Amino acid sequence: MSDGTGTIGRLRTFVLVALPIVLILAPLGLSLYDHVFARDALEDGDAAPFLEFPAERDEGCVRDSAYMRFHHWELLREVRDQAMRHGVRGEISLDRCRTCHASRERFCNRCHEAVSLEPDCFGCHYYPASPTALTSDTAPAHGPGR
Amino acid sequence: MDIAYQPIEGRSRGYYLLLAILLTLVAGGVYATFTMIAHGLHLSGMTNRVPWGLQIVMAIFYIGLSAGSLVVSGLYGIFGKAEYRPFARIAAFLAMLFLIAGLLSIVTDQGRIDRVFVKPFAHFNATSMFSINPALYMGHVMICIFYLWALFKKKGRLTKPTSVIVVLWALGVHTGTGAIFAFTPRELYNTALLPPSFVAAALSSGAALMILVLVSLFKITRRHLDIALVIWLGRLLAVFIVVAMYVILIENAHRFYLIESREATSYYLFSGYHAVLFWGGLIGLGSVVPALLLFHRRRGSSVRWIVFASVLVVVGVLCERYLIVLPGLEHPPDLFPGWEIVGSVLDEGIVTYTVSVYEILQALGVMSFIGFIFVLGLKYLPLLPVEARAHGQSQMLKGMIARAVARRAARAQGVSATRL
Amino acid sequence: MDRRAFLKTGGLFLVGTPCLGGLLVMSAPRTAAASGAGTRRWGMVIDLRRCPADCTACLDACRRENNVALHDDPRWDVHWIRKVTIARKHGKEERTRTVPLLCNHCDHPPCAQVCPVQATYKRADGIVIVDQHRCIGCRYCLIACPYNARFFNYKGGETWTNTGYPKRSHGVAESCHLCAHRLDEGRPPACVEACRARGTGALCVGDLDDPDSEIARLIADNSVKRLRDDLGTEPKVYYIGL
Repeated sequence: MSDGTGTIGRLRTFVLVALPIVLILAPLGLSLYDHVFARDALEDGDAAPFLEFPAERDEGCVRDSAYMRFHHWELLREVRDQAMRHGVRGEISLDRCRTCHASRERFCNRCHEAVSLEPDCFGCHYYPASPTALTSDTAPAHGPGR
Repeated sequence: MDIAYQPIEGRSRGYYLLLAILLTLVAGGVYATFTMIAHGLHLSGMTNRVPWGLQIVMAIFYIGLSAGSLVVSGLYGIFGKAEYRPFARIAAFLAMLFLIAGLLSIVTDQGRIDRVFVKPFAHFNATSMFSINPALYMGHVMICIFYLWALFKKKGRLTKPTSVIVVLWALGVHTGTGAIFAFTPRELYNTALLPPSFVAAALSSGAALMILVLVSLFKITRRHLDIALVIWLGRLLAVFIVVAMYVILIENAHRFYLIESREATSYYLFSGYHAVLFWGGLIGLGSVVPALLLFHRRRGSSVRWIVFASVLVVVGVLCERYLIVLPGLEHPPDLFPGWEIVGSVLDEGIVTYTVSVYEILQALGVMSFIGFIFVLGLKYLPLLPVEARAHGQSQMLKGMIARAVARRAARAQGVSATRL
Repeated sequence: MDRRAFLKTGGLFLVGTPCLGGLLVMSAPRTAAASGAGTRRWGMVIDLRRCPADCTACLDACRRENNVALHDDPRWDVHWIRKVTIARKHGKEERTRTVPLLCNHCDHPPCAQVCPVQATYKRADGIVIVDQHRCIGCRYCLIACPYNARFFNYKGGETWTNTGYPKRSHGVAESCHLCAHRLDEGRPPACVEACRARGTGALCVGDLDDPDSEIARLIADNSVKRLRDDLGTEPKVYYIGL
């Protein structure tokens, strides 16, 4: 009865083979669905996520766009270790990013959601998801913050 | 001597029912763990004053139980008692599972489980027992895997030295686990006798567990197990109990004698529910009663009494593991000698730890997980020998067995057996 | 090569590579845990003669500055600094004292000794601090601290009282770090600032190694005491009037 032949045996074999395959492929399938069929329509219908920049960019960012796009996490890690382990706090801090990029929703989250990478930062570090206005004169003031 | 191993059939309804129950309990443990990950560990019974609870108690209990393999391998590898070689497979398999259970208990107890898989290796701290011990545990798992492989492949020349390595590494594992507590400045933890006491209790609980596992498995599978082997393990268990009691006696006498630790030790020994656990659980039921049973001429050669004594020892050692962890946390440190704290926003005095249902679910989940793997292993791996016979018995043992057989025959015939 | 040999070699390779990688990672040279930050040695002096029993200025300031969570439950509430009332055990003296308790920033911190990931460590300037990006929440440091000065974040806090400093989410250990973020910028810790603003001046934080600093003079001119000196942890919080 459980030797692989016969209806029950064939059913059992099918379940034992199909179940692991389904369990492994299910997350893949769900992710595929999420990204191909169910993704929110972006404002411009563009392929790249739209990052909202501040209206006036007087002094520019601490690094250029190309570096930030591919290395901003390394920069943040370096700044973090310098501040925490060596007590050296310099120009770069999250608060300074906030002065120009006031909305996390329209800046950080855009790319992070597109690549499905949820950083662990904002449960502890203050970075409001969406401030009421976005012009530079209503952006939060400088402070001794990080 | 070629031993034949045969896995169990594992097709009965009882077998599948057991698997289903175990999986349900595992699911309960997973649910409890994920709930606490999402909402925070305040759902457990742990507080700022008692930051370690049931999970850590179970972790060190499992680690202690893994010494069963140490006992069997020691008997075979160091003392050359070839009769215990048939049990090496199941002992090594169980040791591996218990170490995994210990590691699992600790991992599910962490505040940030997502960080616990890489950071302890990338940032290893050689002065921390919590860094050293997982390395020891994982090393022991790997050695047991290697040992199992050597045993399955019947590599006779490898198994003997490997069994010695198993013994030595297991000694390191248990000493290290005791050191987790001993190497801290907490009043009720800070005793150099804690690692040896941990090893002694591990040996006794491990031997007791081997007795329970072997007797029950051979009975359920209706395979022959020579009483002599069980009696020998029972005698060894009796010696381990005495050694463990000795170390515990010295440990507590010392810290009770010294005036600086007398107040804390009085709390530990004489007040609260753990006084019951100590005197009733550990000393009374866990040590004195089993020792008396095992050293008794007649009862010590009866499998039924040996099994009963083993159960008492396992329960007693569980009480002891609880006593290692909790009273030291419930009792506050003496910050102002000569003064007492009369007001504070925190509980600065003696606090009590109460287990929460989430921790119980987690503990059951871990136990069921290794139970599940064990039960599967019995079916798919040749772990259990077809029969276990004692070779080259001593005259004394031969006489004991003859008398035991005669007693059973007399009982079957309804004749009084008191004279035998 | 037959299938069995292939599987065996493949399996060994699959298991061996991360093991070897792990060994290499563990033995890689690491940057020193604490370097730079000058050669100061931060310490604190608490003058109990100037500390009123009912004042909570330092407690409130610390909680506000560092986003320390409060749940009104002594089981899980975090208190980087707290005040306890002590009375003599024996004798007829009725008078009680109030003593602020906080992390002592020991020179030989047991908490840093036992942290399995070196998240709790002592900086070169003597401050004992938890790297919240690394803490795995094992709570061994709470066990090892002989002063009960460390806390585990069981429940987390919902919001920030000070948006200029991060809070902690649940699952990590935390304790006073002498407002290292303020000291690094040359500002006093929140508790010291609040005490001074109130006019009490019971708290003083400074460089213990600088003989001209206020703290060094306070220690030299007064009879100071540290908590549990006998343990050898070398705490750096000194009490006057204990």
